[in-house]
This record gives sequence, structure tokens and C-alpha cells, in this order.
Amino acid sequence: MNSFRNALARFVFLLAVCALHPAPARAEDVGGRWGTEEREREFYPVVPVPIPKGMVIESGAYCLLPDGRMAVGTRHGEIYILSGIDEKKPDPKYHLYATGLDEIFGLDYRDGAFYVTQSCELTRVTDTKKDGKANRFETISDAWGYANYHEYAFGSKFDKDGNLHVALGLSNSYDSYALFRGFAMKVTPDGKTKALASGLRSPGGIGHNEHGALFYIESQGPWNCSCSLKAITPGSFMGHPASFNWYKYAPEMGPVPTAPKSGTRIVTEKERVKQLTPYAVVFPYVRMGRSITGFVVDGTKGKFGPFEDQMFLGDYTQSLVMRATTEKVNGVWQGACYPFREGLSTGILNVAFTKEGNLLCGGTNRGWPVRGIKPFALERIDWSGKMPFEIKRVTIEPTGFKVAFTKPVDTATGSDPKSYRLGTFTHPYHGGYGGPEIEKTTPVVESVKLAADGLSATIVLDKLIQGHVYEFDLGALRSRDKDELLHRNAYYTLNEVPKAK
Amino acid sequence: MKSFGFALLSVALLTPVVSAAPVVPGFANKHPLTEPQVGQLLIGELRCTACHTSTTAPLERAAPDLADVGGRVAPEYLRKFLTSPSAAHAGATMPDLLAAEPADQRDKIAEALTHFLVAQAKGKFEHQPAGADEAAAGKALFHSIGCVTCHAPRGDDGKEIPRDGAVGLGHVPAKYSPGALSDFLFQPTRVRPSGRMPDMKLTPAEAKAVAGYLLGTSDAKGEALQPQEKLVALGREHFQRLNCAACHKLGDAPASKPVGTLEGADVMKGCLSDRPGKTPRFNLDASQRKAIRAALAKKPEPLTDKEKLAVTLVAFNCLGCHKRDDAGGVLEGTNEFFKSSEKELGDEGRIPPPLTLVGAKLQKVALKKVLFDGDGVRPYMSTRMPQYGEPNLRHLPDLFTTLDASGVKPVTFALPKSEGRTQQERDREKEMRAAGRELVGDQGLNCIACHSFNGKTPGKAGIELLTSTERVQPAWFYHFLRAPNAFRPRTVMPTAWPDGQAVQKKILGGDTDRQIEAIWYYLSLGTSAQDPAGVRAADTLLSVTDTTRTYRGRSSVAGYRGIAVGFPEKLNYAFNAETGTLSALWKGDFIRVNRGGQGSGGFNPAVKSVQLAQDVSFYALADEKTAWPLRPVVTKEAPANPDPLYPKNRGYQFKGYFMDDASVPTFMYLSGDVAIEDRSAAQTADKKLRLVRTLSFDAPKAQTLWFRALTGKVESESKQQFKTPELRLSIPQVPTALRPTAADPKASELLLKFEIPKGKSTQTLTYELLP
Repeated sequence: MNSFRNALARFVFLLAVCALHPAPARAEDVGGRWGTEEREREFYPVVPVPIPKGMVIESGAYCLLPDGRMAVGTRHGEIYILSGIDEKKPDPKYHLYATGLDEIFGLDYRDGAFYVTQSCELTRVTDTKKDGKANRFETISDAWGYANYHEYAFGSKFDKDGNLHVALGLSNSYDSYALFRGFAMKVTPDGKTKALASGLRSPGGIGHNEHGALFYIESQGPWNCSCSLKAITPGSFMGHPASFNWYKYAPEMGPVPTAPKSGTRIVTEKERVKQLTPYAVVFPYVRMGRSITGFVVDGTKGKFGPFEDQMFLGDYTQSLVMRATTEKVNGVWQGACYPFREGLSTGILNVAFTKEGNLLCGGTNRGWPVRGIKPFALERIDWSGKMPFEIKRVTIEPTGFKVAFTKPVDTATGSDPKSYRLGTFTHPYHGGYGGPEIEKTTPVVESVKLAADGLSATIVLDKLIQGHVYEFDLGALRSRDKDELLHRNAYYTLNEVPKAK
Repeated sequence: MKSFGFALLSVALLTPVVSAAPVVPGFANKHPLTEPQVGQLLIGELRCTACHTSTTAPLERAAPDLADVGGRVAPEYLRKFLTSPSAAHAGATMPDLLAAEPADQRDKIAEALTHFLVAQAKGKFEHQPAGADEAAAGKALFHSIGCVTCHAPRGDDGKEIPRDGAVGLGHVPAKYSPGALSDFLFQPTRVRPSGRMPDMKLTPAEAKAVAGYLLGTSDAKGEALQPQEKLVALGREHFQRLNCAACHKLGDAPASKPVGTLEGADVMKGCLSDRPGKTPRFNLDASQRKAIRAALAKKPEPLTDKEKLAVTLVAFNCLGCHKRDDAGGVLEGTNEFFKSSEKELGDEGRIPPPLTLVGAKLQKVALKKVLFDGDGVRPYMSTRMPQYGEPNLRHLPDLFTTLDASGVKPVTFALPKSEGRTQQERDREKEMRAAGRELVGDQGLNCIACHSFNGKTPGKAGIELLTSTERVQPAWFYHFLRAPNAFRPRTVMPTAWPDGQAVQKKILGGDTDRQIEAIWYYLSLGTSAQDPAGVRAADTLLSVTDTTRTYRGRSSVAGYRGIAVGFPEKLNYAFNAETGTLSALWKGDFIRVNRGGQGSGGFNPAVKSVQLAQDVSFYALADEKTAWPLRPVVTKEAPANPDPLYPKNRGYQFKGYFMDDASVPTFMYLSGDVAIEDRSAAQTADKKLRLVRTLSFDAPKAQTLWFRALTGKVESESKQQFKTPELRLSIPQVPTALRPTAADPKASELLLKFEIPKGKSTQTLTYELLP
């Protein structure tokens, strides 16, 4: 299996000075590489967005303005407005709009006002004098405690009803000492704040999928063996029980959930703890990121390539961007994640699409291990226009999976069950920090049906195990034009199996 | 180390004799090409294969894109250039296509072609006066970033100092307007895809400055050309007839059929004839003709990798800056223009690195980043690595790796695995990490004396050490560390393992291999590598200059929802927005901010401050006996907030702030149903600097609100003046209560009783820091 291969690569760093495969350079804290950077750049080149000398832009949130300019909120608490970010050779103008805010991890714009999620509160920022500089900072909501190290706040964009959502990290990895730490909050257009979900640990971003459903990204740690996307619905519990002590201040949440038992499996525990929401998409730790952050849905109508309506997520530690897709099965969200682009220069804190449909990425690298060594950077991932051969999307079928591709797969490899190598695992659900991949199985691919156009294959497996992550290694596939997959892996989190039609 | 010596050809052999001959800058240097290879390169540079078929087309130099040439080049220059390219621009590679035309026709054809080209352009050429505004900056850039590797440097009089092989720029003022030239310099490969004039990573402002310098001052003379229909049509015919489309794609104009193969052609005739007839005239000099003839005399064979590499390095003049084996390197005449902001690094700091064994040195992805993505790791070097355009050099990384791979002996590092280690492995990992850190630090080999580490530069700003394992191949790293001099003679980089013997005997038992392996491992930890000894990160000092500054962040003097306000008068205060309390004052510098490591930007006063209470300031006390509602106490032992709704359950709600024209913030908050605006500003009166605080109330009904003005060792100086050892407070004429605090009976608290009328009212307090 691929995991074995990676582990081996990490194990002893055998250095044959081989011309074509320079051995991976970093094994250790930030994890091995995918090793695909060199091929990725042909399809998705990374364009540095220069930052003027002397300026520090540790970007934490972006917002595309109606006029096409890009607003950038920073950890230093500034809002810059950038124009000219989409030029082929960008040299954007940086207009400093606001200063003095506290670590911006959420930014949206509506009716002439910025809505800023900063550590201390959600703030409406306006320029009433119309001189291009913010002069009014109104508190929209500070309905949560902020009193400990580690208490970061991440803000969403407006949903279709005009609500904003804020994901609140715990006081540390294990405890919730200040009000509503470990909760997701909803702030309505009339300024009311309501608790929406508990059980968060250390969110890295919050937003909606292409259907407008709310998700947040959770970090690996206690009660979370890997980073994961989780769907937030009113009253739901995301798995880390430290925040139970605040239910008395949030009657809208209903009764305190039954305390989860450590050392169980989420698939069984969710039957007992009815508010417990299973991970929608697990990102197998290290292979698929170590601290995933902000995400955005590709709504570029094809300007960014073949991944319309998919989520793009940054990773801080590994300085890379991944993809994810979600689908609702029997009322439960689940889906898959896929490698996309590695080799960015700094730890990625957030991503956003520009007006021209390029993906703006940026962040900083201080404080935690980060592969990219620039202390801060803005970079643009462009689509070169060339079609990569990729696993486009994996979806569940009553007896297996449907795998869609970006280019037609040739019949020989695409129809051969041996080309579809699968493995599964689950994680323990426990209060320890992180955890192993356990109960591994190797499903038998009983049959494959490659679509006539070669753009998808439906595979039937001997069985489907709920609560497992299905790991696909399709490295044996070739496209009709004899291309190898740019990334051979995908990881599908199976919560529910649809009934046969 | 295996030598990769090229067969070197003497420079003299190819020095152009006639200056009007086409100039290929790469020939001016000591290059590795044989005469037939020079000929082959010329065949590509002059695009012989645009008209002739050939089985061995070497690197073909793409011609400029003419789609908008009429918009970016002055029409009078176009006319002149078309009449005789080498007369307009000595050394041009474009052949004279009109030489064979009757003398009285040449101008007319050029005129018609000009009209045709201008008519094709979307933009319109505008004559603008050249200002030479930023000429000094342009001059400095021109002479430092690498332009003079291919172009002649200029004296103080602005005149070119002629040099063999330099592409003259004397024609530039006649050709371009300032706008057109800076557009071109900003993105040269957009209109000249060949990359022979590379992108020098100029910003628009820099491009403008260089353009200003190259153009000098000139009037905006010349008139806009209105293309005349007849001439446009005639120009179109000439464009077809002269087969311009063979080199220049323009619209759908087709190229003519090839005129015969190069191989086996009579090398004494046609373009190569000493007395050319009707063919395009390239103004080749004798040596160039000889080289092309030599190339054509050879049986055509595809180039070997080594030859292909050599041809590439000459065509793009890589060897103008870089040495590879015995070829190339900075010429004596241009050496002085290679500068560095880190002079102490010696030539390493200013001369681009050698390309000898570069394919064994750099990981391919790093090579590509440098070649195609504009990446660089030598910020101190003034010369920039040009960008030639990926399509032109796509083959180069593979060539380097293939040719150099066997150049250094393979090395095996046994690095700790990242997960599931045994105890023994964990111990070994710890030992390696510690050893690497010690070796890099100032108590070890002191690498940080010359290299940056994780963005910090305790000594000289040499190459960032944390890039090493991202860029460099491990075997090269190993051998280079052991003997830097073997790779870079006279390098300032010392060896810590002379003759393979470790200088540091105590670390890892003085084992050379283990030490180098440990350094690699430690550096591979990237930003998670703990800083080595000698590297320190300081807090960021924020100062106030001419306008008031407001800064938000956690602080020991103002709580997690703290806000610092600094005035140009060097008086500062902190406001705890969680409780609506002015909580600290200080004179002098503004704040220090923790933006290193995991620091979230929390602030502390830059100098010692006077700390005030941080409990809620306003409260509707039942009577003056009632205890003041204090902040819940949170301790290490009991870290959970026991009263999480405080102070919201005491009627307080922060509403934000707004700035006035002087950027002075006014805080807005509620106490019950009273809306309060709270503005403090520095004022100097009687030579005393004070903070004057205005509280504006807006109440829906008349009511009493108590204000806790001061705590600690409070003494009354008068009915309206109170002090602590550090602070004097003047208050309005309102009833007061000075009483012991609940927490500490030795301390007192000063309460003011505000009878707030319905509607709007104000009260003013003044704070004065005591010396």
C-alpha cells in the first residue's frame, strides 16, 4: 500500500543520488512529501505575489471585493486592500485600510462594511469619512470569553440568510476555561449571537460547501486522530467534550449530551451520544496535512480547472493545498480528500479565489513547525490551462464507489480491478492526543465498470465498512493519452451507505 | 570530483570584426563551443530554419511578436529599422530584407510596411517627453542588477563604453517612449518570447527608472502616424512577399514555402555569399560565415546532451555571470558591477554561483524554482537571476541532472524516522537534534555568523540555512561541508572538518560523518528546529510618530480584550474593553508587541506603566455601602471562569470605537441603558502633560451611575483632586466616596457618583502622571 511505501521512504533515508528522483529532503516533524511538486507546477504554477520591502503581511483571511480588489486581513491586525493581484506578473498596490485589530481570521464585506472576526470579537469596520481609511470599529458580537492562550476565533463568510459563523478554539488542547470556548456561534443579521454547536477543539477555518452547508476544519489532537472537516448543524456536538460546561448559558443547545467514552469508535459512539457528529472528511494525519486551515469552494466556473464546486484547503505545517468533496448520504455529510499542490513558501493560513479565478494562498510560518521557510508570503496558484490527469471526485455507491477522472482512462488499466488498490482504516475515538490508524482492511474489488467515455469508473467491493476511511491508490491507471495520475491517492470517509435504488 | 571540462575555443577567434554584424553576447565570453557548434548556434539565433528546412534545428530563437509593434515602437524608428536594421541598431540579428531592392524603393517599402504594422496594432504609439526623473535610480539598477552582462555599461556622460559582444542600446531613445520602454522592461518576454532579453524581475517602478535612464531627456518629438489605407494594403503585400511571416507571426499571414534545405546547400552562396545578392542580408562577419559554413559542412547529427547544454548556456549567456568548469564567469570589464549588501561575504556575496556540478548540487525542483519561478536565496546579491521564460529553458534542469549526477559520490544519511520510534531511536533522534543545533550555533561551528537562520540574522545575512535541505541534494551538502574549497576555490566558507577531521571533538565524538548528518537532520526540521545559540528574536517596538495610534491585543495591563492608545505627545494609555476601564498609563515609547514564535501580537507598555484596576468602571450600585463588583478570579489552580458572564451581567457591553480626524479613538459602551462615549486625549497645559478624559452619556431616563475612578493608596488633595503615589486625578464636582476596598482593607477605592440626567451630558477627568 501507499502508506507503507511512504512509511518506508520516511524510515531510512536512503540516498541514491539519482538523477530523476532526488530523495525527499525532510522526513521528521512536518511529514514526508507527496513528491509531486515538480509535476504539479506544469498544471498549477505558483506565482509569487510580491510584498513591498519593509511590509509584513501575515495573512489570515481574504475577501474579494465587488470591484475585484482583494482585501487581506492579517495576524498583525491590519486590513490591506490589494489591486492588480491577477496580473500575469503581479505587482499589486497595497492600500492600508485598517490597523490595530487583533489577529484577523475571518473577513467578509457587505454594503460598504467589512465584517472582521478578530480574536476578541466580531467587528463591523467602516470608513465613514470615505477617505479610504477605516475610522469606525463597531462590536457586532463579543458573546464569548477570551482569556487564554490558544483561544483563536475563525469567522465564516455570510451565509445566504446574512448570518456569520464563528468557530472558537478551546483554551488549550484539553480544556475550556472561558465562555463558549469550543463552540461554534451564529451571529444573525440583527446582531444576536446564538450557540450552534459544541465539541470543537482547535478549528482552523469555517465556511460553507457548494450547497451552502456549514463546515469547519478541525485539527488533530485530543478526540481527533487526524484533521477533519466536520458538518455543523444546530445543536450538534463535534466530539471534544471539554465545552460541555457552557450548556447552561446556551439553552438553545438543549440538554448536555451524554459524555462520550474514550477509547471507542465514533461510528458506535454516535448511536449513544445522539448529538455527536461524525467526521465528514478525515485527512489522514501527515499524509494529508497536519494542521489544516482556511478553505474555499471553487466557484470559478472552470477558470481554475476541472474542480468546480470542490473545496480547496490550506495546510499550515506542510505549506500545501488539498482538495475535498462532500456529499450527503442518509442525512449525514461525508466525502473525500485529495492531494492538490505542495511546495508553497510559507505556512498556509487561508486561501481565496481572485476575480480571475486564481487561488490566493498565504500565511506565516512562525510558532509551529512549517515546511515553507518564508516568514510570510502571498502566492497565487494559477491553472496553466493544461488538463492534469487527476482523480476528480470519489462518491459512494450502494455497493462500492464511483471514481470520476479529469481525463478519460484507457480501457486496459481502467477496466482492470487490479488497478484499484484500496485499503481502509479507522481511528480510535479517544481523549488522547492524536492516534493511530487501526483495524485496517484490504477490500476486494469484485468488479469495475469503466464508463464508455472513460471519465468515471464504478467499483463494486466485497463489503463497505461504516466508520472507515477508504484509501485509494490508483497509481496503475493510465489516461487514454498514456498519462500517469498526477496524484494517485484519494481518501473517502464512509459514514453512510446509500440504499440501492 | 570528475571534471567536466569543455573543449574551449579561444575568444579571439570569434570576436566580431565588423560591429554591424549580429551580436550574440554569449560569444564574448570564454565559451565551450567548437567552431561548428558556434555555427549551429548562429543558425538558431538568426533563424536560418525559418526559410530553410533542416534536419537539425538547434535552439531556435523566437522572433518578436509584431501584433502591437506599431503601438509600442515609434513609427519613424520602425521605418528606419526596416530600411536597414543594422543601420538603425548596430548588431541587430534581423537581416536586411530590402538591401536587394532598388535604392529608390527601399524607403517606400519601409514606409508601407510601417503603415501596415501600425494599422495592425491595437494600441497607438504616443510620443511622450522623457523626463529622466528617476534616472539616478535607473542608472544604479542598470549597473547593478546584471544588465551590463549583455549591454555596455555607461560612463558618467551617459555614453556607452563600447565592449565586444555587448548589445548596444544607442537606438533606444529613438525607438521607445518612456511608457513603452518601461512596459517592455517590466515584462520583456511578453513581446520577445525568445527570452534572449530576459525578465530582470523589475517592479513597474524600477522598470520606469531604468527606462528613464536609458532614454535620457528628450522632447516628445515625432508625430502620430495615421495609417493610410493604400499604404497599409501595399505594406501587407510586402509583408507577404518578403516572407516576414516566416519569423514573425502576425494575424493569419502565412509563411512562404521553405526555400531548400540547409544541409548540402552551397555554403559560398546565398546568405553566406561574400557578395550576397537577392537574399536577406545578415551582415555576417567573416568568422560568423566561417562558423556557419563549418556547421553545414558537418554531417548533421543531433546534439549530445553535453553539446545541447553548452549551446544553451551560450545562447542565453548564462556564462556571462556563471562559471561552469573552465568556461564562462564574470568578465574582467564587468566585474566591478557585481555588488553585494554583505561585503564581508566576499565574492560569494556578489558573484553568481558557479554552475559546475549544479545538477548534483540542487534538487531539480529547486532548479526549476530558480529558473522559472523567480525564486532566489541570495537577497544580498545585487545581480538578479533573470527569468528567460519556461518554454525556452524547459530542457535545462534535466540536462544538468543527467550530466552532473555522477559528479559527486553518493552518500547515505540514516535519518530518524518520524513516527513509531523505539526508545533507542528516540534517544538517537534527540542526540542528533541537539548536536546539529549545537554545531550550527555560536558555541559550535557558528554557521550563524554568516548565515541567516529562520529569518533571523545575528551576523551576516548569508544564505538562509533552513533552505539547505529544501534546495540542496544531501550528497552535495555532505561533500561541500567537508571541503568547500574543492567546490568553490577561495570561498569564505571555512571547513570544520579539515582533511575529514572534525574540529569539534566533543560533539558526537568528533565523528565527521555523524556531525554532518546531524546538521542536515537539524536543518531539515525547518521552522520547528529550535533556534541555535546566538539567535534571538526581539519583540517588535511600535512607536507613535505624528498621529495617534490605536492597537488592539491581549496585555497584562489591559486584559485579553486590551486596546493601547498612544499620542504623539508620548503619553499612552491602555483600555480594557472587556470591562470598559482605563487600566494603565505611561509616558514615553508606545508598546512592545510579541509577534515572534506563537506570539499573537499581545502588547506591553514599552516602558514601565502605572497600573490601574481592571474591574468594571461603571455600575449602578444600590448604595455606597455595596461592594464594587469585581472581576472573577481565575488562577492556575482554578483556571475556569466562575462568573463567565461578568461584566455583561453587571450591565456592561462594549460597542466599539470610532476615530476623529486626529485618529483619536472614542470608545463606545453601555452601562445598563446608558450609552457612554469615552474619549481621552493628551493635552499640555502649564508645561504639564495630562490625559483629559471626557465621558459623554446618553440616557433614556435620569439615573445614578457610580464610577470607580481610582484604587490603591488614594489620598484626597482637595474635593476635586486625588492622588496615588504615581498619579494625580482631577475630577468634576460630583459626590465621592473614598473607602477601603473589599479585597485589601489597606487600599482604598475612589467612587464618583454621577447623577445622569435624561438625554445627553458629559463629565471630564484629568490624569497626570507624577514623576
